[in-house]
Amino acid sequence: MSSWYKNSGPSDDIAVSSRIRLARNLKGIPFPSRMTTEQRIELNRKVRDAILNSNTPFAKSLKYIDMRDVPEAQKYAMVERHIISPEFANKNEPTAIILSGDESISIMIGEEDHVRIQVILAGLQLSEAYDIAERIDSLLHASLQFAFDSKLGFLTECPTNLGTGLRASVMLHLPALENSGEIEALSRSIGKIGFTVRGMYGEGSKSAASLYQVSNQITLGLSENNALDNLKIITTQLIDKELQSRKELKTLELEDICYRALGTLQSCRILTSNEMMNLLSRVKLGKSMGILDIKASPIKVLIEAQPFMLMQKYGILEPKDRDIYRANMIREALGQ
Amino acid sequence: MLCEKCGKNHATTHIKTVVNGIAREYNLCSQCAAESGYATNSLTGMLASMFGDISKYESPAQKTRCSVCGAYFSDIAKSGKVGCSECYTTFYDELLPYLKRVHGSTNHVGKIPNSAPLMVKRETETVEDLRNKLSRLIAEENYEQAAVIRDKIKEMEAKGNE
Repeated sequence: MSSWYKNSGPSDDIAVSSRIRLARNLKGIPFPSRMTTEQRIELNRKVRDAILNSNTPFAKSLKYIDMRDVPEAQKYAMVERHIISPEFANKNEPTAIILSGDESISIMIGEEDHVRIQVILAGLQLSEAYDIAERIDSLLHASLQFAFDSKLGFLTECPTNLGTGLRASVMLHLPALENSGEIEALSRSIGKIGFTVRGMYGEGSKSAASLYQVSNQITLGLSENNALDNLKIITTQLIDKELQSRKELKTLELEDICYRALGTLQSCRILTSNEMMNLLSRVKLGKSMGILDIKASPIKVLIEAQPFMLMQKYGILEPKDRDIYRANMIREALGQ
Repeated sequence: MLCEKCGKNHATTHIKTVVNGIAREYNLCSQCAAESGYATNSLTGMLASMFGDISKYESPAQKTRCSVCGAYFSDIAKSGKVGCSECYTTFYDELLPYLKRVHGSTNHVGKIPNSAPLMVKRETETVEDLRNKLSRLIAEENYEQAAVIRDKIKEMEAKGNE
């Protein structure tokens, strides 16, 4: 098994990935903003032992990593692969992560909450991802006491996560809805029912490559299953609307856009990150509509061509040089 | 520190961006941060603003401190971050209206940790939960739903008396 962006999954021509995040805190220790360095080190140890000493076959696939041992560039490469949050990468305190070999499971220790269990899978697989997250939750709970209140549920540093501590999200490729401008109205109405639509890199970020993240906002008074079911319904509707909107695109113009994008990527010598995102988005659209016949997965290429991912592969590079390496890499990936 | 953009308000939002591999740092006030498209961490900005005028929590009358982490309610209102799990008990009354505004509910439904493996709380609600729901529905003038809940309460109470 390999990382989500290298795999294919159900409905992945539009639903790129599904992610589950559970926020948990331990009883008796202040939340991360008020923790001392000693408490953080102690927390890392406790969570590590809870997982690695559990002697379950499952735990054997997980590895503990002290984030102080991870070079800066590699941390940001993890952000680009959606394994950790940007906030976590920016932390200067002693934090740690427990990661599965295929990177589908990442347990962040000492982020905004003591523990954040994340599971990310390719395509639309919310229930599958949730089941894995729940297993880890149970495993942790077998030896740790969580901060829990019968009325308020799992207690979290930010009250917006209180209750289930569950944030479920799906990343969707919505170029046609973006092009028609419908995405804005849809985002607004989705916002009214307790869900949110955001750009690829989370809160406040602009969408790149027409990738949008849809996630639940309400965590109190709504069960995990209800939240997941509602998100699935919204996702299915967005996929249907995107497909509908794609049908209305004019064939010749669409072909022109897709072929031009592929042509540029196959022959460029210098390629910025932004241009790469825009063009790969069009190639992805062309591929999923059967216009372009290419083997490579545009999402895999997109993830691997991001700045820190490139540097992880080729070493530290100046932005100008990176654009050259990126162009070379993509020409090769797209077969010319 | 003053906001780097407007130079008027206190900078409360520290932003570190990495664009094309170049890291930059900014210190902005929450307003300018929001205008620049940086909603603060996990809606904290929104939450902090939901507490409204936080100066009222800084009056001498509001001197309750959390016995575990030492946080005042004003600390929580300012940062949008709760100090520790005990704060939820200490400041329960103060937090409740905001929880209601954010989630539309103040009662957890879903998974509960047990001494044994985690169990899922049954989603059938208690009579008390239903009564709360009923008053909410009536307040919203959602009479159709309210009638359904009213019947449910009757049914449960009848069962309880058997």
